[in-house]
Amino acid sequence: MSKWIENKEGMRVLLMGNEAIVRGALEAGVHVAAGYPGTPSSEIIENLSKVARERHLYVEWSTNEKISLEVAAAASFAGLRAICPMKQNGVNVASDFLLHLAGSGTRGGLVLVSCDDPGALSSANEGESRHFARMIEIPLLEPGDFQEAKDMTRWAFELSEEIKNIVMVRSVTRLSHASGSVRLGKLPEKKGTAEFRFQGPFLNPDTGPVSSMPVAYHHDLQHKKLDRVRELFEESPFNTYEGPEKPELLVITSSACTLYCREALNLLGLKDRVGLLKLGTTWPLPPKLVKSYLAKAGKILIVEEVISFLEDSVKILAAEQAAEIGIKTFYGKNDGSIPMIGELNPDLVAAGLSKIMGVPYLSMDGAYEKEAQEAAGSLAPGRELNFCPGCPHRASFWSIHKALQLDNRQGFVCGDIGCYSLGALPAGFQSVKIAHAMGSGLGLACGFGKLGDFGMDQPTIAVCGDSTFFHAVLPALVNAIHQEAATLLIILDNSGTAMTGFQPHPGLPINAVGQEAPKVDIARVCEAMGAKVVIRDPFNLEETRATINALLEQGGVKVLILRQICALSPEKKGKEDYRMQIDESRCLGDECGCNHLCTRIFRCPGLIWDKGTKKSRIDEVICVGCGVCADICPNGAIMREEPVSL
Amino acid sequence: MSDTIQGHGQAALRTRVRETKFCTACGACVNLCPYQAYYQDEVVTLHVCDLQEGRCFAFCPRTATDLDSLRARLFDPQDLTPEIGAVKDYSICRAADEKIRRQAQHGGTVSALMSLALEEGIIDTAVVAQGGDRFTHQGVAVGEAAEVRKRGKSKFIAAGTIAAFNRAAQSDSQKIGVVATPCQALALAKMRMKPFPEKDNNIDKLKLVVGLFCGWTLSWKKLIPLLKTRTNLEEIVGMDIPPGKGQVAVFTQTGAIAIPWEEIDPLVREGCRICLDTTAEFADISVGSARLPEDWETLRSWNQVIVRTKTGQDLIDLARKKGILEFREVPAEVLEELKKAALNKKRTALKTIMEKTGTPEDLIYVDRRDSVICRILG
Amino acid sequence: MKPLIQDPYNIILAGVGGQGNVLASRVLANMLSRQGYFLTIGETFGASQRGGSVMSHLRVSAASTWSPQIPKGKAHIIIALEPVEAIRILATYGNRQVTVLTNTRPVYPVSVIAGECNYPETDIIKKTLERLSARVWLIDATEEAMKLGNPILSNIIMIGAVGGLGLLPIQLEDFVSVIGETFPEKLLSVNQQAFEIGQNKVKK
Repeated sequence: MSKWIENKEGMRVLLMGNEAIVRGALEAGVHVAAGYPGTPSSEIIENLSKVARERHLYVEWSTNEKISLEVAAAASFAGLRAICPMKQNGVNVASDFLLHLAGSGTRGGLVLVSCDDPGALSSANEGESRHFARMIEIPLLEPGDFQEAKDMTRWAFELSEEIKNIVMVRSVTRLSHASGSVRLGKLPEKKGTAEFRFQGPFLNPDTGPVSSMPVAYHHDLQHKKLDRVRELFEESPFNTYEGPEKPELLVITSSACTLYCREALNLLGLKDRVGLLKLGTTWPLPPKLVKSYLAKAGKILIVEEVISFLEDSVKILAAEQAAEIGIKTFYGKNDGSIPMIGELNPDLVAAGLSKIMGVPYLSMDGAYEKEAQEAAGSLAPGRELNFCPGCPHRASFWSIHKALQLDNRQGFVCGDIGCYSLGALPAGFQSVKIAHAMGSGLGLACGFGKLGDFGMDQPTIAVCGDSTFFHAVLPALVNAIHQEAATLLIILDNSGTAMTGFQPHPGLPINAVGQEAPKVDIARVCEAMGAKVVIRDPFNLEETRATINALLEQGGVKVLILRQICALSPEKKGKEDYRMQIDESRCLGDECGCNHLCTRIFRCPGLIWDKGTKKSRIDEVICVGCGVCADICPNGAIMREEPVSL
Repeated sequence: MSDTIQGHGQAALRTRVRETKFCTACGACVNLCPYQAYYQDEVVTLHVCDLQEGRCFAFCPRTATDLDSLRARLFDPQDLTPEIGAVKDYSICRAADEKIRRQAQHGGTVSALMSLALEEGIIDTAVVAQGGDRFTHQGVAVGEAAEVRKRGKSKFIAAGTIAAFNRAAQSDSQKIGVVATPCQALALAKMRMKPFPEKDNNIDKLKLVVGLFCGWTLSWKKLIPLLKTRTNLEEIVGMDIPPGKGQVAVFTQTGAIAIPWEEIDPLVREGCRICLDTTAEFADISVGSARLPEDWETLRSWNQVIVRTKTGQDLIDLARKKGILEFREVPAEVLEELKKAALNKKRTALKTIMEKTGTPEDLIYVDRRDSVICRILG
Repeated sequence: MKPLIQDPYNIILAGVGGQGNVLASRVLANMLSRQGYFLTIGETFGASQRGGSVMSHLRVSAASTWSPQIPKGKAHIIIALEPVEAIRILATYGNRQVTVLTNTRPVYPVSVIAGECNYPETDIIKKTLERLSARVWLIDATEEAMKLGNPILSNIIMIGAVGGLGLLPIQLEDFVSVIGETFPEKLLSVNQQAFEIGQNKVKK
């Protein structure tokens, strides 16, 4: 059934970037895959899990990225090929182990796939994982299109085994979450035998024990490996040049920016005047190759996203070789030709090129653009992010907000990473006032909870999801309990990693490949640690609110689990609890003192303020029938009816 | 009184009454809409309402009030006094039923009058304050005389009683009586002016306001930590102010604890310090503890009562006729003493107000041109 | 493989999170991909389920892979699952030659639900789209889809309408074989019906 296990060698198919990475790993004969969900990386493990049985793979959603890298590394130490995909923030989490791993070296091919998110399209930061390659001193590959996403992933395993160290492949949202045509390669026979050998000589990389110590020896060895990497990169087919022999300007780029550069040159008609050096092997750079192209032109433009990583590396090489290749004029992020922040696109690259080359570029007819933008500005109201209809988080934040207002001590919510980050917006009644990394909500609340001696009497609530709880909240909870921090942790348990697409986590009785698995009970874990635990249904607004107020007045660490399944979860989707109706005789509309509470404040997309009748109305296409709005109408005009059973 | 900046809605209420701490937690702005709530001695904003005009602001006893118009609307002009408002009749009395007195703070007059009003069908619902969890208080609507009597003790803490009135007014209740502190009685009087005729708050259902003499209420959040230093909250059965001792008595199951006034004064709600009214001038009938040249134990079982309106007069006449209340003679100087004390309170409050605003022209919620203010300030 | 009217041919599929935009763009792309064209799809999702504007950029070429982001002003056809989204897209990707197909059923933004913003009347939307494009088709896809029993089918009706226009080489047969791989068998007939409804909407 699955398209990537059919051995359609030579066929061209439409694949998402992440699917291409999956196919590359399968063509490389990967055995083990472990990761933690995070946009834009999640589809890699998801798709591998779908073919785990057919391809004889072990696939897991690990508790967090550090653990996933450890799981993948164990496979490598036992001689198997393993892949470990994550989003850029995950590399931060995994980096502690990664540093040791780079020192110890690996055995079976081990590939870390980092999916960065330039422009933070689905992230809380614009993190840049390429620095880890330089900082930890491991080879870095950056695919420039969908075909390369597959081919580089496959080659990364070979490279890893050649140098006996981990290799990093860096994708970006516009590759991982975009789709393109990919010609498939051959799938190998399924095989793989695992054995961890440790009885050989201490420093034998294949049979001895595995460690990064003695450090001097291993670090030196790691540098020798990098020398070999440089040699291999000099010859790599992933570094390509297109353009004239003597270009007026040399553009150096990598990753999805390759496609933007190509399109920009096309738009400006500069293909005969400007050369494009596309690098797939971006750390360590192959010095001879780069030097040979730098020598071709006096002006160099470096096009990349997020940090001037490639630009810095190229400039160092150019400085080292200035005596031979002459002094170059550089353009890129540092001179403002390319924006410092955000993701790029063909227009931004074209704008930079147009300035450097003195070629005018008008992307749109001026009069049309003005007219169209005025129309959009006046007629297309913005779409602020909101919780879905039927989302338990709306109900949870309704009660949290109300409880904090009643409590009246300027209490606030420390947020975390998940759909519930929207608690900072009107969708969540602006309850979340501080939010950082996974697990930081409770960590920060621990800190605030210890400031009582400094006169701080504002109560703090930390919120986290069920998946986040396991990922990074557990250590913070241990800290809260041990330090006796006065805080309330609310676990918004919607039974899955909802934001990234319902990947299972340790709290669910199922694993990545759909088999039954022991479920770790969040409530019992918290109780065993010594927290007072209460479980409520967030759809019961008043009970939830009263519970939060009561817990806020108690000292010590309290855990409230608000348990209600996500409205989009496969189990829930399409099932209505109630059929909602507005009793028009009860809805006082504009005449009511409620000032449109249901639409203006509660803001569920399933409710509409009907300008004609001047009353509230249910949008039957959008409403999913959770029934919560019936409890917020002060006049009892929103009615729940039992759904008609089919 | 600058009324232009944020209109006359929730925003103005928040910045001019609540953030300035002039709020008395009377509850008048609660239950008119879903945006305000009364919780643990405070009125809080649940969500922002952007309406420019609201009943919340109009009914608040700490927003601009035309007291002269209220007096003209509610009282006979010949009854008005500058110190204690309208006086149709003044007496010293107590509940005839000793059981009622035992459940009450002093003479049980309020319990007796409200019970009578319920039993006679003058009202079908009585809105009174009741104690709750951990010494908090809130308004409650009851329909039985026995339920009124159970709640006879003085509270010394705000109860947001008008919030309960607002809810009762929207219910099936048709004839409502309220036991109100001066600020609460003022809020009800402002409602009776019907500033929003199309949403008149069902104010015509209000048939009786029994006012309570009041000098101040205490901040619950400040009082609780103090009480905890002296006794278990669960053991407290009541509080009182013995005259002339400069202290507050806290009665527990095992005896009385005296707390010096110096410790109590900082706990007084800021909104009470600018209050001009000791005797609930906008009630139909006002009741307080008797102040007589006698010993405390005797005094404690008597009330002084000011009848202000015909409704009040009818009720007390009925109580007299039915023998519900027993009366004693009123020494000549007592009423004058009361007026003097009430005038002193007005003077102190005005001084406090002028200290806050920095000018005798801005008196926060009262008009400099008001007839009573003119007589005091000249 | 037939040559395209323009190469690359640029399609934008726009809508609101939850309308099935991603699926629709995949179905359309697969219909073209199986004929041998190079396809690139650029998608914005992540916040898609939560009421935000979503769009997919489809680039069809007989020659090569193109950027997953269409340059400004270079759309050839805009398929909007929600009417004001069509206007929003025109502001960045529109031009005087563009063809616009839009569903007529509004999905009100929260700001409109909350009374903070107004949503334009249908005839204003129509006039604006007509002014800013070469051809406009307004299709009551959601209403038709609800008649079929599920409003989500509106996106298939819109794909059917694209087929009906004849600007791209896609036929009912292509659709049937693609959805055969995407959907379980019991849903095939209703999807086929939806596609045909869309085709007929633009033939009239």
